[in-house]
Amino acid sequence: MKPGPTKKNALIGAAIAAAAISLPLPPSVFAESAPEKGIVAFKYLNYQDSQPSRDRIGVNAWSLRGMAPIAGKWSIDVTGTYDSVSGASPLFHNYIGPAPAGVSVVSGASTSSSTSSSSSTSDEVRKAIDLSVTRYLASGSITLGTSYSSESDYDSKSLSLLGNVYLNESKNTMLTLGASVTNDTIEFSRATGTVAGTAGDRDDDDDDGGRDDDRDSRSGTSTISENKDIVSGIIGVTQVMTKNDIIQLNVGYAHGSGYYTDPYKVNDNRPRKRNQTTFMGRWNHYFEATEGSARLSYRYYSDSFGIDAHTLGLDYVQPLPSGFTVTPSIRLYSQSAADFYVPSNPSILPTPPDTSALEYSSLDQRLSAFGAVTFGIKVQKRFDDGWLVDLKYDTYAQRSEWTINGTKDPGLEEFNAHFIQVGVSKEF
Amino acid sequence: MTRAASLVGCFIGMAGLVGCATVQPWEKQNLAKPQMTFEDDKLDRNYTEHIYSSKEAASGGSGVGGGGCGCN
Repeated sequence: MKPGPTKKNALIGAAIAAAAISLPLPPSVFAESAPEKGIVAFKYLNYQDSQPSRDRIGVNAWSLRGMAPIAGKWSIDVTGTYDSVSGASPLFHNYIGPAPAGVSVVSGASTSSSTSSSSSTSDEVRKAIDLSVTRYLASGSITLGTSYSSESDYDSKSLSLLGNVYLNESKNTMLTLGASVTNDTIEFSRATGTVAGTAGDRDDDDDDGGRDDDRDSRSGTSTISENKDIVSGIIGVTQVMTKNDIIQLNVGYAHGSGYYTDPYKVNDNRPRKRNQTTFMGRWNHYFEATEGSARLSYRYYSDSFGIDAHTLGLDYVQPLPSGFTVTPSIRLYSQSAADFYVPSNPSILPTPPDTSALEYSSLDQRLSAFGAVTFGIKVQKRFDDGWLVDLKYDTYAQRSEWTINGTKDPGLEEFNAHFIQVGVSKEF
Repeated sequence: MTRAASLVGCFIGMAGLVGCATVQPWEKQNLAKPQMTFEDDKLDRNYTEHIYSSKEAASGGSGVGGGGCGCN
């Protein structure tokens, strides 16, 4: 005979229930309730990339972030970033050096010279600010965000709206809907009478997206002002699977029109429209035995330039004694080439491949087919009084022969980079 | 466009598979740890995404907004 409930069992049950209610339970695992604490965070980045023959671009960046809850229902989040970029980018493929005879190369509008006789040398500063305000509701949250980024020759402005809605009372399923608009403006100078087959936009039709061609006949230069507009949207679902598993699936789409050409590269002339589709899946798993967490992600990317890309990432976060956490990570990436990518031909260097008969063309290594691998490690130390310091190192390698879904370009050199981040933050 | 439609179909199918969890609020202690969220360390994520979007053709996937730059 099955025993019925006893007074003792009822008391134990009530005690467990009371204990459960009194636990400082998180209202949501999605961080979609108003934060209880604010945060101030600073992070420094040092980045350097290279190819076998020389170093290319180096970046030092500083970011400061402040986030504060307001009245238990709102939060405001502000991040300011200052980048300093130096070094040289290839004129085409891996070629860094004097511009070939008959080829002029544009320079930034803010610089004094209109053309350069060598590879694009950078000594640039970028300042950016991101601001978002979030309103927390019983059934989700709404975030309105804006960002502004400024360089001597490039400005970018964006506005975004992101909504999260719980689809059930248990808050195990959350739907995300977001949209944004971005407007970019680029200004650069080039010599008037630029010969065919040189850097710059050779698109002479009237669909110029508001291009302003301000010629200065005395100096023989013209200042070009171009625009790029992007409208994007995302829909996603975040789902608690078990007490140790949570997954997220996102589909994103972006439609862009305007100036996609890189005016600092030789023979670069890209379509004025670009549609991008992404599918991303993320899965975080908590290991009770080690108290560590594995974070797996996969992204499929496709765009109207003809590029398909696969990205696979895996982190493992392992807490250690005394507030330390160590996180090794690996990232695998592969992309196909753009339809208008023109392969390298080292035998004719320093002359670039002839693209005069092509409607669109690019000799940019970033639009070639390649694979890439990143190994990283991050160490964090959390103090009892809310301070957190962290150090992260990543090493990145990009090779044409590592592509799994594109046509290799054996003439391209290896590309490597490393990036170091140092951060400190304080909760208050 | 066909590819995009396939992705959306795949997405809907996978989303339909996951709507059956019954994890109670008091069982979410592990899920609430910072490393189990998808938004851990915003500044790290900003830097990393910026680097990859300037050295590779693909970008996006995890959100909307954020400014562009002349580096890509």
